[in-house]
This record gives sequence, C-alpha cells and structure tokens, in this order.
Amino acid sequence: MSTVTLSAPPTRSPRQRGLRRFLGNRLAVFGIVTIALFLIFCFLGPLVYPTDQVHTDLKSTMLPPGAAGHPLGTDDVGYDVLGRLMVGGQISILIGLAAGVLATVIGTLWGAIAGYVGGAVDAVMMRVVDAGIAIPATFLLLILSAIMRPSVPLMIIVIGFVSWLVPARLVRAESISLKSREYVLALRAMGGTHSRAVLRHIVPNTVGTIVVNATFQVADAILLVAYISFLGMGLQKPATDWGAMLTSGITYTYAGAWWLIFPAGVCIVLTVCAFNSIGDGLRDFFDVKGRNA
Amino acid sequence: MSVVEQAQGAKTKAPNGSRFWWYLLRRIGQGLIVILLVTLIVFALLHLALPEGPAVGVLGMQATQEQIEAFNRENGFDLPVWQQYLNFLGQLVRGDLGDSFKLNRPVADAIGQRLPKTLVLALISMLVALAIAIPMGILQAVRRGKLLDYVLTTWNFVVYSTPSFFLGLILVVVFAQWLHLVPAQAPQGDTVADVLAKPAGLVLPVATAALGIIATFSRYMRSATIDNLSEDYVRTARAKGTSVPVVIRRHVVRNSLTPVIAMLGYYLPVMFGGMIVVESLFNYPGMGLLFWTSAQTSDYPVLLGCIMVIAVATVVGSLLADIIQALLDPRTRGEFS
Amino acid sequence: MSASLLEVRDLRVEFRTDDGPVEAVKGIDLDVREGEVLALVGESGSGKSVTAMAVLGLLPGSAAVTGSIRLGDRELLGLAEKAMNGVRGAEISMVFQEPMTALNPSMRIGDQITEALLNHRSMSKADAWARAVELLARVGIPDPERRARSYPHELSGGQRQRVVIAIALACEPRLIIADEPTTALDVTVQAEILDLIRTLARESGTAFLLVTHNMGVVADIADRVAVMFRGSMVEVGASRDVLLRPHEDYTKKLLGAVPTLPEGAPVAGAEPERSGAEPVLELSEVAVTYRRGGRTFRALDGVSLSIGKGEILGLVGESGSGKSTLGRAALGLLPLSAGEMRLFGQKVGRGGVSRREERRLRGRVGTVFQDPGSSLDPRMTVGEAIAEPMLVQRRVHPRSARERSARVAELLEAVELPASYANRYPHELSGGQRQRIGLARAIALDPELIIADEPTSALDVSVQAAVLEVLRTLQERFRFACLFISHDLAVVHEISDRVAIMLRGGIVETGTADEVLLAPQHPYSRRLLASVPVPDPDAQAQRREARLAVGA
Repeated sequence: MSTVTLSAPPTRSPRQRGLRRFLGNRLAVFGIVTIALFLIFCFLGPLVYPTDQVHTDLKSTMLPPGAAGHPLGTDDVGYDVLGRLMVGGQISILIGLAAGVLATVIGTLWGAIAGYVGGAVDAVMMRVVDAGIAIPATFLLLILSAIMRPSVPLMIIVIGFVSWLVPARLVRAESISLKSREYVLALRAMGGTHSRAVLRHIVPNTVGTIVVNATFQVADAILLVAYISFLGMGLQKPATDWGAMLTSGITYTYAGAWWLIFPAGVCIVLTVCAFNSIGDGLRDFFDVKGRNA
Repeated sequence: MSVVEQAQGAKTKAPNGSRFWWYLLRRIGQGLIVILLVTLIVFALLHLALPEGPAVGVLGMQATQEQIEAFNRENGFDLPVWQQYLNFLGQLVRGDLGDSFKLNRPVADAIGQRLPKTLVLALISMLVALAIAIPMGILQAVRRGKLLDYVLTTWNFVVYSTPSFFLGLILVVVFAQWLHLVPAQAPQGDTVADVLAKPAGLVLPVATAALGIIATFSRYMRSATIDNLSEDYVRTARAKGTSVPVVIRRHVVRNSLTPVIAMLGYYLPVMFGGMIVVESLFNYPGMGLLFWTSAQTSDYPVLLGCIMVIAVATVVGSLLADIIQALLDPRTRGEFS
Repeated sequence: MSASLLEVRDLRVEFRTDDGPVEAVKGIDLDVREGEVLALVGESGSGKSVTAMAVLGLLPGSAAVTGSIRLGDRELLGLAEKAMNGVRGAEISMVFQEPMTALNPSMRIGDQITEALLNHRSMSKADAWARAVELLARVGIPDPERRARSYPHELSGGQRQRVVIAIALACEPRLIIADEPTTALDVTVQAEILDLIRTLARESGTAFLLVTHNMGVVADIADRVAVMFRGSMVEVGASRDVLLRPHEDYTKKLLGAVPTLPEGAPVAGAEPERSGAEPVLELSEVAVTYRRGGRTFRALDGVSLSIGKGEILGLVGESGSGKSTLGRAALGLLPLSAGEMRLFGQKVGRGGVSRREERRLRGRVGTVFQDPGSSLDPRMTVGEAIAEPMLVQRRVHPRSARERSARVAELLEAVELPASYANRYPHELSGGQRQRIGLARAIALDPELIIADEPTSALDVSVQAAVLEVLRTLQERFRFACLFISHDLAVVHEISDRVAIMLRGGIVETGTADEVLLAPQHPYSRRLLASVPVPDPDAQAQRREARLAVGA
C-alpha cells in the first residue's frame, strides 16, 4: 500500500516529457532525418536525375562509378545504378510502408478482440496466431511467390498477411491488461456497454503500442521484401527493388563489381535502421513496452 | 505465530504435482490444435497451388487427359475436398509426406536426408550466439547508459537491420576473398559426418547466422536484466552487503535467463527461415537449400513437407521451452493459471 | 543519556529528474541512540524514506548526497563501496516495506539468510545454515528446519517479513533501519511484527530507526520520534511528548487528521432509524468462486447483508477476507456462483432482470475506487470523466452538451474543486484531487447508492481526512446510501452507521458502528480491534498488555 507522492501538480505533461525524450534520443532523430532524405531521393530524385530504367543499354554494361554520365556505374544490362537505386527504393519503401500498415491494422483488430472478449474466443484466435508463427515467414512467402508470380499489390498483401501475427500478440496483451484497469471497471459499473469500453477506453490507450509496433513492422517488411527478391521470387524485370539489385549483383562479386552490391545493401540497412530507430524513439515517447528490448 | 498468519500461509503453499500434469496436458492439447491448423493451412496452400491436383506435376506436362483422370481416380484426387483433407491427415499421421515431383523419391526421404545437417548448423550457430549474447546483454545492462552500452546497442541495431545475405556477403568478401582465411563455400556431403569433417567451411555460415541471433538475444537479455536489476530483492541483497557483481551472478542472471529461454522456443521458425538464406548463400546441403531449389522448380510436395516438419518442430520446441521455464521457476512449479 | 550511535548532520539529497533537480531532503539533523527505537514519521514527499536509504548508500545514481552521516566515529558518506559493503548487513541492516517482493523468488530462504552471514563472517556453510535455522526460530517461524528449505512464495506476507527481519539480524547489527516494515501487512499481522521488533530491541539492545507514517505504530513502539515535512525536520522528541503535547503546527495538524477509535463502551440506544422502505442493496447467501489453474477458491461464502436507504454500511476485513470481492460482486463485475442479489428491490444477475434493465439500474449506483492513479482514464479530461455516466445513461437522463457542462461545474463545486479543473487531465492533479473527481463522477446521476472500495487507502493521512470530509458532506446533503469498504477500522468508525466484519469469505459480525467496533463480540473482531494501534502511547501500552494477556 504505497502513498501517493504528488501534493502539487507536476511541471510537465507526459506528452512534453515524451517529446523531450524522443528528441534527446539521437538515433531516433537520425532515423527521421534519414527517412526524409530517402523519400526525397527516391521519389523526387528521378525528376532531377532522369534515367531510363526500362530499356537496356547493352553498349554500356558494367561501367564502374565515375564513368561519364553514370556516377554509380551501370549494371550487367546497362541500367544506370544510381537511377536504379531510386526506382528500386520507391518499390522497397512503398511495399514496406503499405505492408507494415496492413499488418498493423489486421493484427490490432485481431488482438484487441481476442484480448477483450477472452475465454474460448481468445483461445481459438490465439491458436490461429500460434499456427501462423509456427510457419517461418520466408518459407510461406516463397511458396506463395511460387504459386502466384508477385506484383506490387500482391506482395503488399502477402507480406501483410504474414506479418500481422506479432502486433496481434502485443495488442492482445495490452487489451488484457487494460480491461482490468479501474477506469474500465468504473465504466462497466455505471452501466456502460462493452463496445464503449473497447472504443473509448481500450483502443485510445493502446495507441502507443500500436504506433510503435507499426514502425517496427515497416522495418521488417522492407527486410522481407529484400529477402524475397534475394531468393529470386520477387518482382520481374525491368521492375526492381533493392533486394533484387543485390541478387543480381552477387553473381558479380568475384568480378570485383562492388558498385552493384554495396549501394543497394547500404540503402537497405540505412532505411531499416532508420525505421527501427524511430520505433525505439517512439517507444520512449509513449513510455510503452513495445517489442522486447 | 498467529492463526491468521498460518491460515494465510497455508493458502500459498505449493500444491502437489498433479497440477503440473494438468498444465502439461493442456499445453499438449493446445499444441495439437496448432498443428491441426497448420495442416489446414498447408492443405489450403496445396489446393491453391494445384487446383487440379498433382497429376500434371507427377506425370509431366505431356500427360494426356485420360492419364490425368486415371491418376486422379487411383490416388483419390477426384474425391470431394473434405475427404481429400482427411486422407491427407491420414497420410501425415503415418509419416507419409507424399512424393516429390522432381526428385523421384518420397518427400520424407529427401527431408530426412537434409534435416540433420540443417539442425547441426542451427545448433552450432545457436550455441555460439548464446555464448556471446548472454554475457553481452548482461554487460550492457550493468553498464547501461555508458559508452559501452551505446556502442553495443548501435552495433546490434545495425546488424539487426541488415539482411543476413548482405551480412554474409560482406563476410565472404572480407574473409574468403580478400584474406583467404576460410573457404567461401560450405562443405558438401550427404551426412552430418561429411559436413563436420571440414569445419573450416562452416565458419562463415555459422558466423552469418549467429550474428543475427546475437543481435536479437542480447537485446532480450539486456532488457530482462535491466528489469531484474530494479527488483526489490536486488535491493535486499545489496543491503546485506553483497557486492554488485556477486548480486548479478547470484540473483539476477538466473531470474533473467528464464524469459530468454522461453523466447528460444518461439525463435525456432525464425531460425529455420534464416537457414534458407544462409544455406543458399553458402551452398550448404541442408533443408533450407532443398526448400529453395524446390521453390524454383515448383516441387510443391517437398515445400509443404518442409513446412509441416518445421511447424511440428516449433510446437514441440515452444512446449519444451515452456516446460523448462516452468521447472526453473519455483513459483510456476507450484501455481499454474 | 545513551551515546549517539548514528549522527546525521545537515543531510541534503538532490535528485536529477526529467523536470530538473528536485531536493528531497533539505538539510536535516538526526540522532539515533544506542538501543533506542526512533520513529521517523512524515507523509509522502517528506523525505523520510530517502533519508533511510541514504544512510546505507542505497540511493540510485541520480541522487546527490551531501552532509555527514557518522556511525560512532566513522563517516559513512563517501565511503568506498567495498568498505560500505562491510557496513551493510553487519553493523547496519535494513528491512524494507514490501515483503512480497523483498526476497529472491528462486532462492531458498535458508540460502538468503546464509548469504548475509557469509558476507561478513568466515564460517562453514553448515554452520551458517545452522545459524540461519536458529534465526528463523528466533523471529517466530514455526518448523524452522523445514522452512529454511522453502521458497518465498510458500510463505505468507507476515512470514516473509519475519524472514527479512531474520536476515537483518543475522550478523547482530547495532542498528536496524526499517522502512515502513508493517505498512503492507494486515493489522493483526502488523501487531505481531511490532511485538517481535520490540522484543528484539529489548533482548539484544539493537537500535531501530523505524520509518513510518502511522502514528499508532509510533505510539506502540517508539521511544523517540522525529517528524519530517517536505524534506525538513519539523519536531523531534520523546514519543510521549510529541504525540500528546505537540509543539509545532504541522505536528498538531498531522495528529489531528489521524482517525482514531474512541475508547470506552458504546453509547446505548444509538441505533439509527431503519425506515420501512426496501433496502437499496440486498445480498442473500451470496457466494463467489474463482477458478485458478484447475482449483476452485471460494472468495465469498454464504454472505447476506442489506443496506437501507441513506444508510452507510462499513465493510471491514483484512486481506483475503473477501471484502473487495463483495464490492465487485455488488457492482456487477463478478458473477455470483450462488445466492441472490437485489438492487433497489429488483433481482440482478442470473435469473434476474434483462441486461439492459440492469444497466439502467446501475445508473443509480455510483462507484469510487481505490487507486487514484488508475480510476480515471488518462486520455480523458476531468470534465469528460465526470460527464461519462451522463452519456452512458443518456436514455434515462437525456441531457444536452450544455446541460452536461453545467452539471459538471455543479459537481466540481460540490467536491470543493474549482470549475476550471474540467479541462485538466488527471496527471495534472494530485491523488487527493483525483479521488474527489472520482467522487464527483460517482454522484453525477444523483445515485441512491455509492459503493466505495478503499477510497482513501492510497492517500496521505491529511488528504484522507479532507476527502472523507467531502464524502461526509455529500452524504448529508444528498442522502445516498453507501457501502464503504476499508481495512482501516478507525476510518470506518468515523463514517459508518453500521459495520460488518468479514473473515475468509464470510461475515462474522454486524451491528451499529459503535457496537461492532467498540464492544465486539466475535473473537476475531476482538482480536482485530485489539490489534489496531492508537496514537496515544499510554493508552496503547494498556491495549497491548490487554491483547498479549488474551494471547495471540
């Protein structure tokens, strides 16, 4: 039985403290800046630096960086690497964002309902989640890619469907812990309905977890896209993404064509790192236990 | 001591062992349901992939319509879907995972030959990774906020955000190409013994797999240790005059390990998923590589057989992890909810 | 005059926080003499716990400590960690507040005691274990050999606290610092732990620095008392002097706010009028069972009670008595496994009125919960929280938005808070203010019954007095019935008309407040009453003698 410490109002609201923590987290700030830069690079870049990413140019293949008109060189069929990075980035980031959001939405609804309703419904819903987790994401994605050659929308849906399991678990845990908070009990005691409890009290108080997890989902989705393309089941040429660039580049590693590999790889690492940092920073902001550690 | 106190004490006394068996039974039941759901998913995928059944896959593209129909009749593929599913379940229970389209052998055989090698690689990687990750996590927790913690966290962050094939690639370029320290390809062979005979070839695959595991598990260990460091019993121990290093060794580590062990069980699918990438990058003759090549050739029975095996392994693994966790913690030995 | 064992001079402690530096202790002087029990009292924020932790250097890294802390002729402040470890547990030991979490859950009790011994003495493990068993016997744990091999979760809270005391005693320290050692314990258990401390102090001449906020505890056990307020020392003196003839205003205010059970026999014929009208709440042979891991546990068994219109019924009990369960069941938050419940004459629950009708009935009941930190949704403004019952019951009590705001302003005024608070968020208010908001929400729809589950237990004594005053005023004004659940007998006596005492899921005694609390009949009620310490040292000494004579 602890006694309450406050006898005077605190000086800063949780929101202000959170903002301070977020901005003080240098990695998080780096994350936001990086993403902003990448968005500009990928989506505005081609306007400033237009290249032909559809037609191959077999006269200028495998040019190293610095060659005339190709700051990062060209690949094995003559595409300009820098331009390809931009175009590939558009796809990687787009799929990542969309799939991450989709996974979060599905997972949140699933978890909130399972957690609040409890009992047999919860047990069944969670067994489904367990079954989904028991199948490795890469395996499932490979099979689905083998069955249907992926296009961008299909990849978004497929990755989203494979990734919703983690947010479902998290939101369920939050939901369970929230439904026994005294303000929810007070609502029930005054005659409130379950739907009011969920909509007005549980969901708004889960926002922190949801948003934090959403950023981690986006980071994971971008990685998954890279994995799929690496395993050769990604988009068809001439469309590309960073993972596919890496794959085609690997065959030339031993030829010393580092510019076919490292730029794309570094882009992936930076972007994913940035989203993870933002997620970490947001977790401090909301003061929430998002992902483990 | 008062009657009231004794009465209260009696309520929290650890009950006899029968409660544990009930818990075990319930968990096994849950596991079976999960496996059943997986079979549903697998079957659905099979149907999605081959709406007309595997006839074309087995007989080849040149099969005539009569041959296909005869095949379907013989093997029960003209039956209604739910009956096919029951047959499928029956097969699984007998351990029959079907026949590969392209490899001319039963799937179970193919997997059986490859699985041990993947397990060996996974096991070695896991052991190496934990041996590094656990002390690293504890160190980070103790030196929280200091430079070392910051550096290690950033390093883990970067590794965590890097696709494993890129990581592996860098390792290959640096250690195999430039420094010529270890071979770039994994040892080939049919049996585990073959693979272990040339350990030098295992170094890079293990390193690639382990780096990712270290990044994840040292984070878990760090956060578990931090949580435990702020527990009341740590304060009690310090008030007895126990020095901080001893407090960590004697009190904190044991209690921090339990959640990490629990994580291991759930980490299995992630491990296997990572194996595809590592094995294809280094040409390691394991189940992951088998899966990848089968995906290229649309050899669905092999693909789905692999999934079943992994799913069962995951369910068993997480069950074991939960049991170990329960046994380690004297509280859960007594009370199960 | 015994010599000073511990001398604290001009102690200052400053914490680095998100909001800037906070001074928790602002230069205090303190002396603990050989063999005495010194009580350090204060409300939350007084700095008493911080002072206690500073002596042993157990404050977190964000604390900057200056001044002087001398043990005999040695300066403790600034001592190297290794030397400090030599002091901790050997010359000065500490006992903390929460027995449930003070012990390592995966280590045997015996090992936790031997750790203290082996830290400071070179003895064999076998010898250390034997001594540990001896210590367990000394602190009154039965069957000490077996218990030494048990794990903490197998012991009750009181037993665990005895173990912690055993650990503290292990190396026979000259001073034991106890930080709220009995606050988390039931009142009967508290009495026993205090007996133990008193015996130990007398037998081994160990000095005790006892940090507490409970004046009754001070009267029971302390030789001298030091009163702190907001980081400064207010008054120090012999307990009889300070408690009976306080000098400073703050001490007077503090003592005045402590609710006390009056002594003596009840005034005859003070039976409150029971109107013939039907009771607002009626429970008949109600039972509630919990299922935990395959095992059923009867939290309530065969409980019957009724509350009449405008009547305040106090429900008392210790932990595990079922009083909270009863409150929850009355609120409709728990299903009944047996028995019947009638709300305003209508049967609710299984076999009763429809869900919708029950929800309407619940609009006539208001609730106040215990924890000011979680009884209000942190994302809603105060005004929204108070208006919520009106929205929930809008079919019965339709009100436009403007009417609701007006009502909110009215309600804030009724609980003596400024109307401008309607736009604030809960985190901007203190605990006492939040409880008032809870009260405002509870009376929003002019309820006929209010169920209050430990409404003041988490508040400081002075804040508690204020909130109770508000509750009393509201009740006089609006005449609602009230089910007041608490473990604090004095508080219950001050506010209730009738009282019911619960033990292990059943009611053992009911009657008027005076009858039950001043002249109890049931043995458990008697023991319960006897265990409550009063803030008058002489009276408390008498009560203690009487209690020990009966035999605990």
